[in-house]
Amino acid sequence: MKNKPLSAALVLVSLVVLLAIPLLTGRFTVYLAMRVMLLGIFAVGYNLLLGQTGLLSFGHGAFYAAGAYGMGFFWLHVSPHPLLGIAAGILAAAFLALLIGFFCVRHTEIYFAMLTLAFGMMVFSLIWNARGITGGDDGLVGIMRDPISFFGLGKIPIGKDAQFYYLVLFFFLLSVWVVHRIRVSPFGLVLAGIRENARRTEFAGVSVRRYRLAVFVLSGAFAGLAGSLEAMLESNARPFMAHWTHSGDPILVSLLGGLHTLTGPLVGSLIFVAMREIVQRFTENWMLWFGIVLLIIILGFRGGVVGVVQDLFHRSGLAREG
Amino acid sequence: MFIWLVASGLTLIFGVLGVLNFAHGSFYMLGAYFCFTVLRHLGANFWIGLLLGPLFVCAVGYVVERFFLRRVYHLALPYQLLLTFAFVLIFDNLVKIVWGAGSLSPPRLDIFGEAVPIMGRKFPAYNLFIIAVGPLVALGLGLMIDKTWWGRIIRAASSDREMASALGVRVPVLFTSVFVFGCWLGAIGGGLAAPYVGIMTPGMGETIIIEAFIVAVIGGLGSLKGAFLGALIIGVLSAFGTRYFPAFDMFLIFILMAAVLLWRPQGLFGEAR
Amino acid sequence: MILETRGLSNYFGRICTADNLDLTIEEGVLTSIIGPNGAGKSTLINLLTGYLPVQSGKIFFRGKEITRLPVHKRVRQGICRSFQIVNVFPGLSAARNVMIPILALTGRSWSPFAKISSERDAHREGEEILARVGLSAERDTLASALSHGDQRLLEVGVALAARPTLLFLDEPTAGMNPVERSRLLEDIRRLSREGRTTFVVVEHDMDVVFSLSERIIVLHRGVVIGDGPPEEIKNDKTVKEVYLGDEVIDIFRYEGGDETG
Repeated sequence: MKNKPLSAALVLVSLVVLLAIPLLTGRFTVYLAMRVMLLGIFAVGYNLLLGQTGLLSFGHGAFYAAGAYGMGFFWLHVSPHPLLGIAAGILAAAFLALLIGFFCVRHTEIYFAMLTLAFGMMVFSLIWNARGITGGDDGLVGIMRDPISFFGLGKIPIGKDAQFYYLVLFFFLLSVWVVHRIRVSPFGLVLAGIRENARRTEFAGVSVRRYRLAVFVLSGAFAGLAGSLEAMLESNARPFMAHWTHSGDPILVSLLGGLHTLTGPLVGSLIFVAMREIVQRFTENWMLWFGIVLLIIILGFRGGVVGVVQDLFHRSGLAREG
Repeated sequence: MFIWLVASGLTLIFGVLGVLNFAHGSFYMLGAYFCFTVLRHLGANFWIGLLLGPLFVCAVGYVVERFFLRRVYHLALPYQLLLTFAFVLIFDNLVKIVWGAGSLSPPRLDIFGEAVPIMGRKFPAYNLFIIAVGPLVALGLGLMIDKTWWGRIIRAASSDREMASALGVRVPVLFTSVFVFGCWLGAIGGGLAAPYVGIMTPGMGETIIIEAFIVAVIGGLGSLKGAFLGALIIGVLSAFGTRYFPAFDMFLIFILMAAVLLWRPQGLFGEAR
Repeated sequence: MILETRGLSNYFGRICTADNLDLTIEEGVLTSIIGPNGAGKSTLINLLTGYLPVQSGKIFFRGKEITRLPVHKRVRQGICRSFQIVNVFPGLSAARNVMIPILALTGRSWSPFAKISSERDAHREGEEILARVGLSAERDTLASALSHGDQRLLEVGVALAARPTLLFLDEPTAGMNPVERSRLLEDIRRLSREGRTTFVVVEHDMDVVFSLSERIIVLHRGVVIGDGPPEEIKNDKTVKEVYLGDEVIDIFRYEGGDETG
């Protein structure tokens, strides 16, 4: 939005709301808010790949799982320190993304999509089958949230949901800020160039492959962050996190909210989780309605919800100053 | 062999329309359910069910292509994929609503009689029928693509859509017909598979689409020959895998797909796009 | 001599688009490459800029071999091109279009925490480029919203932004109206005189070719059939035959009153 004061105000309001949630609402809402933020982290990082660079990956669930299992293994076998565990998860995810990405980025469009799908499902079946190590379809269980200690100077407890919420919020805000900075950076501009015209970007002296790999790893790292946090939230890591249908979540959510915007994936996550909660009370088939909404968006509103709102905004003349 | 039928539809649709139809598994599932309904509620026999069921699916496919898919051809790949994915969600849930979320058992087939003894072991006659159908359909498809006028147009449009259009082929009509035919193939697969597998669930579409997809990719998207070969390879590998590496059977198949994609992205028989 | 090819050959199946070419491009000399359709002009550019892999032969740039160098590395060496079909970044503004090569080549593009808005050097250079092609007013217009002529100007601008020492322009005036065309030609002539970049122009329009070039290379079926200053080419018998045989282009119009025999 070009209207600076208005967007600043919106950000401020959202911040206040987010900070206030554990203080003003019950446990379930706090839990839901955290799920929204986790999906938001996953999606906003993923959208760097899809919306910004134009690459469709169907395997990012694998990195989410890598984050969760990485964190889980670290907690079980190395140290219960939460921040280190999260770092372990992120590193595991980034490393896996580097490995898989290396093979995938040399291909384009549809082959890229298919390869990422294949690799993602390979990770899934690996996790599923290696019962001895990963616990198979039961997943890793028993991951607890130990307090965060700072060099013995003090401990921040995160055992309760309301406390853990603030850790999640911290990482959520951090992720959004980082993605924002990337979007407005020269690096982000080159990514947009690759999306708009990869061939031309090559002729601008850019090694397109290297940039693709970089953004692939970056988005994988965000997925890993979200995965580690979920492992801590749910106290377990499950193989389903790597399944291709889970990989579809950030895609759907980003599309729903608006692919080419920063807030799109976030709004999409909110709507997705909210819809699921609300519609599920009335019918088991909430995915049906979601499918219909998706259809409508693809057919007519490809800017997503945020796109529609921005359009209405401009038309009503509210964006006159700026 | 059902994978082959679904894969052939998938690869045909991709070859001509350039669209990867995620919803193809759903058409397979709808095929099974429609055949079942025809059998159960119209009291008809197997053959009539096999005839009518897929026709209903074709009608659905027609609506999908004509009114929805057609609008997104000019858009980027992600939108097309996501559109078909949206339909997966819709169909899966519609099936749950109409036929219930549980599993259904298709009626037993008596027309094929009892088991047929071959080489000292008894095989259910139905299985033999299925095994025969596969190559028959392959042959039929192959002949159709090579010899008929429609087949020739399909081949032309596959390799160069603009040129075909310039030559007077009514591309939208062609696309619709190919899509519907692909759905028919998938639906037949479903109709044939249901009695063999023994149960039908709303989730059957999701499992088959991945396998059919892998088969089509390995064989080369757009190549029917390739899909057939791919189905054979996967079939053999699967049997092999379940016998010797039961845990990693799925993994092997995905590795094969990744290997093919890395080494020869267009698959064994596909053309570079 | 800024570019040299030795024995450069390329075949599409059985069709030869480049037949054992030994070409040299001289620095600072505005060169045109002409030839009937299918002569291999675009193929040549594709080969020289790295868009097509070389099947046989070698390419040297300022004495260094670049035959196997990938596209983006050749651009960094100083070779760039514009495209026959407008090939810009449609969803970005004109200013952003030209900034991409600038940022890439100055090494600023790997900094994820810098801000585009603070890249003053890049902005300044971008403004310069836009001014050179006459698009300063369209700085914030989306590339897809520009008129066709302006898009072609942007096309050249983006190519120039890569600071090339050798720039191939593939039919830069295609589809332009006469006003736009003469404006672009004037720009090319002026930029060529500035001396920073050697221009090699592929063109069908003889107007452009004869008024602009200091040297003309004539290609036919992958073979050079003429190479020299415009007056020489005008009078070359082989060139006349080829053109009269394959295309009805009356290149003799420009001498005012020569025979078309």
